[in-house]
Parts: sequence; structure tokens; C-alpha cells
Amino acid sequence: MILPGWTREPLVHFLVAGAALFGLFAWQGEPADTASRTITITREDRARLAIEWERTMQRPPTDAELDDQVEHFLREEILYREALRLGLDRDDAVVRKRMANKMDFLAASMVESAPADDAVLRQWLARHRARFARDSSYSFDQRYFAQRGAANCASAERMERAGDAISLPASFENAPRNEVEARLGSAFMANLDRLAPDGKWAGPVQSGFGWHCVRLRQREAGQTPPLAAIRSEVEADWRSETEAQRRKQAYSLLRSAYKVKIAR
Amino acid sequence: MGRARKIVSGIAIAAVLGGGAYWLTRPRIIDPAKIASAESDVALSEFPERVLFGDTHLHTDNSIDAFGFGARLGPEDALKFARGDEVTSTTGVKAQLSRPLDFLVIADHSDGLGVTRRLYDAPRFAIRDKTLRRWRDMMHESPQQSVRATSELIAAAGAGTLPAAMLDPARRDESTAEIWGNQLKVLDRYYQPGKFTPIAGFEYTLQPDGNNLHRVVMFRDGIERTSKIRPYPGLVSNVDGLFDYMDGYERATGGRVLAIPHNSNLSNGLMFELTDAAGGPMTAEYARRRGAREPVVEATQIKGDSEAHPFLSPNDEFADFGKKGWEIGNLTLSFPKKNDMLAGEYLREALKRGLSIEQQTGVNPYKFGMIGSTDSHTALATGDEDNFFGKHTGNEPDKIRAIAPQNLGTRVGRMGWNYLAGGYAAVWARANTRAEIFDAMMRREVYATTGPRMVVRFFGGFEFSSETFKGDWVRAGYKTGVPMGGELVASGAKAPRFLVSALKDPEGAHLDRVQIIKGWVDASGTAQEKIYDVAWSDTAKRQPVNGKIPAVGDTVNRARAAYTNAIGAAELRSVWTDPDYTPGQRAFYYVRVLEIPTPRWPLFDAVRFGVKLSPEALADAVAQERAYSSPIWVGPAARNTADRKTGQRRLAGR
Repeated sequence: MILPGWTREPLVHFLVAGAALFGLFAWQGEPADTASRTITITREDRARLAIEWERTMQRPPTDAELDDQVEHFLREEILYREALRLGLDRDDAVVRKRMANKMDFLAASMVESAPADDAVLRQWLARHRARFARDSSYSFDQRYFAQRGAANCASAERMERAGDAISLPASFENAPRNEVEARLGSAFMANLDRLAPDGKWAGPVQSGFGWHCVRLRQREAGQTPPLAAIRSEVEADWRSETEAQRRKQAYSLLRSAYKVKIAR
Repeated sequence: MGRARKIVSGIAIAAVLGGGAYWLTRPRIIDPAKIASAESDVALSEFPERVLFGDTHLHTDNSIDAFGFGARLGPEDALKFARGDEVTSTTGVKAQLSRPLDFLVIADHSDGLGVTRRLYDAPRFAIRDKTLRRWRDMMHESPQQSVRATSELIAAAGAGTLPAAMLDPARRDESTAEIWGNQLKVLDRYYQPGKFTPIAGFEYTLQPDGNNLHRVVMFRDGIERTSKIRPYPGLVSNVDGLFDYMDGYERATGGRVLAIPHNSNLSNGLMFELTDAAGGPMTAEYARRRGAREPVVEATQIKGDSEAHPFLSPNDEFADFGKKGWEIGNLTLSFPKKNDMLAGEYLREALKRGLSIEQQTGVNPYKFGMIGSTDSHTALATGDEDNFFGKHTGNEPDKIRAIAPQNLGTRVGRMGWNYLAGGYAAVWARANTRAEIFDAMMRREVYATTGPRMVVRFFGGFEFSSETFKGDWVRAGYKTGVPMGGELVASGAKAPRFLVSALKDPEGAHLDRVQIIKGWVDASGTAQEKIYDVAWSDTAKRQPVNGKIPAVGDTVNRARAAYTNAIGAAELRSVWTDPDYTPGQRAFYYVRVLEIPTPRWPLFDAVRFGVKLSPEALADAVAQERAYSSPIWVGPAARNTADRKTGQRRLAGR
């Protein structure tokens, strides 16, 4: 059976999950009713507080220490409920901003937690091939000359022994572009890109060091590897962009339900 | 109808957002097995062929002070920027590194990890502590007030007067665990073995009375090990506690961890003391621990340069770099600096102290290599003069930052232009992976640069000839000698020889000179030093006068913040034999490479923003950028065997 396109829309998943959760919570009731004056500290709560303590102090708390932690937790919870009762949350700009931020980030965190399946990532990779292409690679020989005048690149037969001493490789084999650029600099890289890969000595071309005769033997455009080889890279990219997009989508949907009047 | 549907979907969205908090699962972890297999696919060269540049000391908005100073970029932005992506800085400026870094250690302060962000976000009524409430209000009032609040906070941390609510262990643990866990996942996600290496770490911020004893703690491992621990807080401990923590981590997980002291220049003499951490006499055991745990020290960063000081090295005409403003007191300026404190603060002196202590205890606690880093609090690891993005978000590029006072708290004395642009760590590793970078640091095969990406090689041995450079000298260096960070065990009368090569940054300035700096303890037990110029440019015009090489000159156009490479050299090399070698004496030798004078960032700012610098700032607006290699130690076989885990290279001579 082929499902219609809309069933694959993440936004639809989002809404369906939302509806399901809405139902679940409506049926279950709020886990903690902040309007109630009954507070139950379960064994699980105590265990959680004990574990938190242990993680810092590297030993379990004594009974007295755990009681302290529980008191602390209680105090916070009681003050929080009383504050809500007094409506302190409503006239506080920070609470307003904080809650708005939370709403905003929740949409994104869903993406953060959602596992990315291969189909989605494969599609992402196909759509952004250039972004994931490996560096081009270069095979060439170079001879260095401190002075331009000394660089007579036409006399090819003498090249083997020509040039001034410098701590740069005389030959590069399938070196990725980023490595060539890191070692020889951007000026050299730009010049290298202008040469034909014909295996003939050419130049002199300039670099940050001086002058070079160059024999470019091969230049290979970077391939985009298959998904399996770069999955985590693709996933990080997909996640970070999808997050931003989700946040925008979720907001624009909420925004569209509002009628806004701005007096000017 | 349309409206009704919109309302329904609005409610559904609100429901899912509300319910989302319960539904959230943890962010995905990249399978450690996949990372291990990607790492093992990276080919290891026979010996380190290409130097890696990185920053071991970067703060993001998870740092208590970085957030307070206004930073809103987190670890993910930091990693993107370091690997070469474009990001938008906190102040809204698009920023991209023209040359990506090879690795990055995110080192947020372990104390109060995420605390300022929570303080900022906290509802006002919920903050009962008066000081915290005032800080919170200041943070909301304006960026200037936020910087002020953060300065007060740092001063309080230094004075040990932080409000108790901030040190509450239960709350701290909860937020630390969450931030640390998420960060580890992000680090793994951005790890591209062979190409870009994010490394887990934190900053241990020990600062009794405002004296800087900070360390960056750096892990070799991925999430399967690092998630088992939490960053260790510094405010309520001492360095023995840190070493215990490191021992505990290695014992419990089988992982590896090292610590990198920094800003010894702001420690008021406490970083490299002649005593142990508690003030008692230095014992062999403490010395051994220190040496094993701290193989590398940060020599240069935004808050000044700690290599050498003119007071300690009066014959060194280049020792004044990065001192202005930083030498007046400790980190928080709670105590002024006295001259007798300097010996415990500067690395050259500490290396000498190490030799003296070795004479007494048999173990050298200060046998460290040198790196540079940024200590940037903007999440942007910029190290160059023309891209300085500020120490923190309060001084990201703007008109006044170079000339404005930049004091922590309200005291006077430091100005914007006192900041250096920051440095980088250069690492001779066999491949760009966590393990290889970490291991290179353990064997000290690293060097510091003040930003330029110079390539510096340094080998010591007994067999090098003056012809060595004609052949495959790097191979010869490894086969018949030791690289920087290594040790030469001298048993005969033959003087050690050194191969040194410094290649300029392909995008940067020419080189002025290469020096070898020697330190030793003489027969009377007094520590000595001597600086040798071993290679320099423009030799036809520059011959030694009274043993000194004349200055290289200065091509900097102050009005345009520009220089030319009309002077200096692209590469300087030398095979050098110590002419003053005394058999049986312990000594260290390290390389200092100087570039020709170039504009510092305040001059770029002055031109870019049309600002007039004060005469004092202008006088300091041109400098000679530099690199410091890790030393090579020469001497008789050690009485006590040093910790063998370090894997340093050691060569026995005849």
C-alpha cells in the first residue's frame, strides 16, 4: 500500500503525537496538581534525590542528609505552588519570556530526540550533495625559489635538482585541498587551480613563501561518499537545520490562529 | 471553518509542546563503536608529518562568566565555527574562520556550569538571596550592567564569598549532569576522525584570594567513558583534589586525562612554587604527580604571555611581549604584584625551578611542554590579530573596546588594548584523532604560537652533522634524535646538537630570527639562562654587534595597519651545537621563533573604526608575534624513574 504524501510529513507526525498525548494526559489527569495542598513524596522521589547526592559526593547520603534534601525539595515545591496561587507567574516578564522560550525550544527538542531514519537522511544527502562532497585532491610536484628571477620553469629537465631549500614537500600525492591550502597557503591554492593537470612544469606561481615551479599531474574533483560513510555528519546537519525549521513552522501555525491588531 | 481548524491545530500543538516535556527522550548518542571504527580507518603516518593547529581553551555560553558577559553561542556553534562554518556571533556579526582549526577543546568552567543562564532565566520572586537577586536584575538591565554583575561574581568567587545558594550541591549536580551530557553528545556528533577533532574538557577554576591557579582538564576519551564522571569543581578544592579526581577517572574508566595550567602570570607567584600545594616542602611524590598530570602548560593566551618576564630575564630584549596590564596584580586585582612573586609565574623560570627541585628531590615537577590557546569567552576560537573577536562578548568588535578600561570589578588598571589576540596550540601528531592529539601532548611534542601558523621542528641528538639538512632531515631527526618534548640522556663528554627549522605562516609575516634558550643549574646551585640567536634573516646586513643581532627593522604602516615582507625570511634553519656544554650538567633547551613586527589587533581596530589610540596603546600596537617550542632536556640518567605513562621519547647518548 502506498501512503499519501502527507502521512510522511514530520509536521503531521508532530500533530498526531500531540493529539495522542493530549488524550493521554486528559485521561490520566495532571501528574501533580499544583492547586492541591497535598504533596506526596514517593519512594522514587527519595531515591532520585539520593542518587543526585551520590553523584556529587561519590557516596550515598546518610538518613539525615537525605531528609535535608527532601526538606529542600519540599520547600521549593511549596513556595512554587503558593507563588502560582498568588498569580506571581502572570506579572513577571521573566516568567513570560522563560515560558515562551520553553515553547519555542520544545518544538526543536522533538527533533533533537527523534531518531533520523536512513530514508530521511538519504534524501537530505541527495538534496545537499555539494555540502557533503569531499575535498578535491591534487597530485603535483613543486620546486621553490626565493627570488622570482631564479625560477626558470621552462627548463624541465633540470627541475629534478632545481630550487632553493624549504621545508615543504616536493611532491603531493592525492592530497586533499584543505591540506594543500594549509601547508602552501591560499595564494598558491588559487594559482594551482589555474594550472592544467597536464603533467608539465609550469610557472613560476607565487605563494606566501616565494615562487614555485609546479607540475600538476592530477586534479580530482571531490566525490560525495555514500550515506553509510558519513551518516553522523549528515545527521548533525539535518538535525541542526530541521530544528530551526520546526521552530519556525510551529510558530507560524500558532501565529496563524491569532488575529493581531496593531495600532499605529 | 478555517478559523476553527486553526484553533484545533493550535490546541494540538500546544498540547504536544506541553506534553513534550514528559515525552522527551535523551538526545541521540552516536554509537561509540562507529566512532571507534572511523578512528581506526584513519591512517597513521610513520612519524608526525603535518602539524595540527587547535584551541584547547574555549568557553561557550555554558560558562558562568561567558553567559554573564553576554555570550549566547553554545558548544554547537563553537564547533561549527572552529571547523570553518559561518556562524552569527552573539552581537549579530557574521563570523567565519578563513582557515579552519584541526581540533577544539571546549573548556567551560566546571563551577556553576550553566548557573548564570539559570540565574538569568529564574523568576525574580524565586531568588531569595539578595546578592543573587541584584545580579539577576543587573543582567536584565543592560549589557553593561550584565558585564558588571559578572565581574562582581568573579571577584566573589575569588574571595570565596559566593552566595551559598550558588554552591548548593544538589542543584548544581542536576544542571551540570544535563549540560555535560548534552555537550558530550554534540562533541561526538561533530567528530570527523582525520579531519576535525572535538575534545571533551572543562576548566578547573581554582583561585584562592583571586590568584589564578586555573587548569584546563582535557580527556582522551569519548562519551562511553566521559559520561561516567562530572567536571570537577575548583572553588571548593585544591590541586591535590584535582589530581585525586583524575586518578579516580582513570582507575574507574580506563580512560586518560591531563591538565593544562594557564595564566600563571596572574597567580601572584603561586603556580610554580618551590613548595607543594599545601605550602609544605616539595616531596618527590608531589613532584612526580605534578609532572605526570601536567605535561603541558599554556604559555600564551588573550590574558597575556607567560613565557618570560624582563625582571627575571633582564638580558632578554623580547621578554616584554604581553606583559602590559597583566603584571600589576593577580586575576581579580585583589592583590597587587610584587617582584618576588614573578619567579613562580613565568614558564622559563619554572623550567629552571624544575631543575633545582630535581637536584633536591630527584624528580622534576615542572618538566612541561608549551602550547598557546585563546581562552576566548565568545564561543569563537579566533587567534589572529586581524580577526580578534574579543575576550568576551562585552568586547566583541566595536569602536571603543581597544581604549576602554577592562577591569574585573570596579578597580582600575587594565585597558582593552592589554588583551592579546590569543594563541593556538600546535601539535605534532601522526593523525588528527583524539588519541593521537592527546598522546602528542603527553609526550610534549607540541609548541605554542601567539596566533600565526608557523611550522616549527626541533630535534636534539648527538649524531646530527652540518649536512643533515641536505637529506631527509625529519626522518634523521626521529631516527637518531628526539623531537621537542623529549629527553637526551648524556653519558659522555659529547655536546648535544640540535636541528631547528621554522617555516613562516603561508598567510603571514616573514621571520626575524630563531633563538635557542638554555636553562641550567650551575655548580653553586644557582639557576642560569642564556639566549642564543641560532638563525636570522637578512644576514648580509645584520652581523652581531657585542654579541647581539641588530633589530630586523619595521615595515608597519601605522596609518593603514599594514606591513610588507620586504624584510625577514620565509624559513630559518640551523644545526646548532651548544658551545657552553658542561658534561654531567642538567639543562633544558627550547626554541623561540620571532616574526618581523606586525600590527596588533588594536591597530586594526583603530583603522577599521577610526579610533584614536592613546600614546601608550599606540606604542604597544605593533609587536613581534612568536612561537615557543617545548623544551628538550639533557642530562645524566634520572635518579628516579619518571612516570612511564607519558610515553616521552628518550634517547641515550654515548
